Amino acid sequence: MQSWPYHPGVDEIRDDDWLLPLQERRSLFGDLRFILRRELWTHRGLLYELTRRDIRVRYKQAVMGLVWAVLMPVLIVAAGALVRVAMAFVGGRPLVPEEVVGIAIKAVPWAFFVGALGFSINSLTGNSNLVTKIYFPREVLPLASTLAQMFDSSIGLGALLLVCLVVGVDFGLAAWWAIPLLAILVAFTAGFALLVGCANLFFRDVKYIVQVLLSFGIFFTPVFFEPQMFGPTGARVMMLNPLAPILEGLRLSIVYDHNLLSPVIEMARKGAVLAWSPWYLAYSAGWSIVMLTGGLLIFHRTEPKFAEYV
Amino acid sequence: MRGPSVAEGRVAFQQVWKKFRRGEFHDSLRDLIPAAASRLFRRRRQRDALGAREFWAIQDVSFSVGPGQALGIIGPNGAGKSTILKLLTRILQPTSGRCGVRGRVGALIEIAGGFHQDLTGGENVFLQGAIMGMTRREIASRFDDIVAFSELGDFINTPVKRYSSGMNARLGFAIAAHMSPDVLIVDEVLAVGDFRFQRKAFDRLSQMRRGLPVVIVSHQLDRIASLCTHCVLLDHGRIVKRGSPDECISHYIMNGLHTEQETDESIPFAFTSLTVEPRRPVRSGEWVTITLRGEVRGTPPANLRLAVRVRALQTVKDVFVLDLSAREPRLSEPGQFVATMDLQANTGHGYLTVETVVWDSVERRDRCRGPHAVIHVNDPDLGGTVNLHPRLRVETQGALAETAEL
Repeated sequence: MQSWPYHPGVDEIRDDDWLLPLQERRSLFGDLRFILRRELWTHRGLLYELTRRDIRVRYKQAVMGLVWAVLMPVLIVAAGALVRVAMAFVGGRPLVPEEVVGIAIKAVPWAFFVGALGFSINSLTGNSNLVTKIYFPREVLPLASTLAQMFDSSIGLGALLLVCLVVGVDFGLAAWWAIPLLAILVAFTAGFALLVGCANLFFRDVKYIVQVLLSFGIFFTPVFFEPQMFGPTGARVMMLNPLAPILEGLRLSIVYDHNLLSPVIEMARKGAVLAWSPWYLAYSAGWSIVMLTGGLLIFHRTEPKFAEYV
Repeated sequence: MRGPSVAEGRVAFQQVWKKFRRGEFHDSLRDLIPAAASRLFRRRRQRDALGAREFWAIQDVSFSVGPGQALGIIGPNGAGKSTILKLLTRILQPTSGRCGVRGRVGALIEIAGGFHQDLTGGENVFLQGAIMGMTRREIASRFDDIVAFSELGDFINTPVKRYSSGMNARLGFAIAAHMSPDVLIVDEVLAVGDFRFQRKAFDRLSQMRRGLPVVIVSHQLDRIASLCTHCVLLDHGRIVKRGSPDECISHYIMNGLHTEQETDESIPFAFTSLTVEPRRPVRSGEWVTITLRGEVRGTPPANLRLAVRVRALQTVKDVFVLDLSAREPRLSEPGQFVATMDLQANTGHGYLTVETVVWDSVERRDRCRGPHAVIHVNDPDLGGTVNLHPRLRVETQGALAETAEL
């Protein structure tokens, strides 16, 4: 046996922590730290470039340009307004402008959620030439899609803000709740995006399942309506959807200047309905933390298999 | 420009094994459920045992490459060369054993893989650079050099989808060539653009690799011979030979790993051996003796010709073909034969393969390939395929001045 170029035993490499796979037992917390510090932080430049690419590609050769970013929320608001007009007609009561503003406020986050998932589900399979050839933390692909959709949605949000100011909605102090609520939404969406992106890489039918769920999800999420319309039990069930407290919180804090720390009880025909409780907020925040950390961890643990399965 | 490295670059493979599966994985959820159910009732397999459809792509491969060393990996298709590169670049994880790269990896693999067709060349420089691990500031400071190297000029503001494939590859190489890696990993990227650019890329690569550990995978054996300091020959996932590039390349060709030998019972020729003397690298212009032993079975039809073909390695064109069936004595009678031919190796530096073939002059194709051998012409001063035996006269200026005075 030649002594060159590798001699086991003789050429023992002492500082071998760069050799893979690392032998030490991995802990969940250690993994998370590794993802955030060694992968995402060191590759933040790549995340930036990929986000830029996704945004640029969306507006290249597009006639509508930025109008496209506003179109989807506008359509949702129009559909919602239509539903509410019909409901007001059947109920024999006038349509209050606040209702339409409420729908508009909930439409933009919903459009963000749908758009981010729609783009990130293809982010790994659509870049399979990168996934099988070049190393970088794959987390950046679905995250870049989410960030690009965030850019789109912030244009929609800006347009909405403009309309609100023109129409004359006065924002109270409680409107600042929008910032933590949107943060919860983004974290939840990012975690979801990581999960579906990675699941679609292994099973291609995940894409179709998620597409169907997203197109019908608007009926199970309070965008066009409010949970209290379903009575005491119905409202609670409706609020189990992790997105529901986020959307309802946005509506209450912005349109009604409601401080989200106290509950809202509305009287309906069947009795008192709990329309809001601070626990709902905690519930959603919990979901988004679980989703984001779970998404990152599951993604990270399955990552070594990506190149073999894609 | 290069920041101080934490430690010098290094590449290591320690007893690496890698298992792959043949055929389809369950690709949709519908297939997963029965698969998961059957796994529940079966015992967990050992890590190093092979399943029904599994095979070893890499078996017990070990090597290490230090600064200034360049390791060439050669072998037939499917030997596991690309798998080794993927293991090195962390795209795959070994089934057992450990491997890795210390320091910043400059992988000249899929150099245009991150390009987005709708973006312009300039935008793609930043994107591809980031994918290769450069920071935005680094790319910005080298942007003009990259554009100049790629020779794209004003086309840098044109979307990449309008580029020719050569332009695409040139831009990709230009970006990769402006990384400042600690370790260089190269996979068949030297076939970039036209001949002149290939030369430029080759020169640039030679310049980049100075003092770095390098791993090169290529089918261009002459490139391996000129770039590498060490070499391993792979076959079916195992290292069958390690040593100098010359040793590995000749072993590769000699043992028939390079081209497959075909035997056909309907062919009226059978071959026993093909030998080349001397069995050492020869100088250009030296005589070599080729001896072919075989047997004629039955009476060969006129369209089947036994020929000896000499090819320069890696080129499709033949250097020399000798039709044995056209020479006296004609090999038309059944029985053993020994054909000895002396050839003068009038070629430049490089490898020549000597192949025996049965050529069908009607169908115009090889019907059967017999044994083959290799001649290594070692004359580094001579390039090209043919030695034109130059008679060189050089007169220096001093000598000319003297003649003028006379």
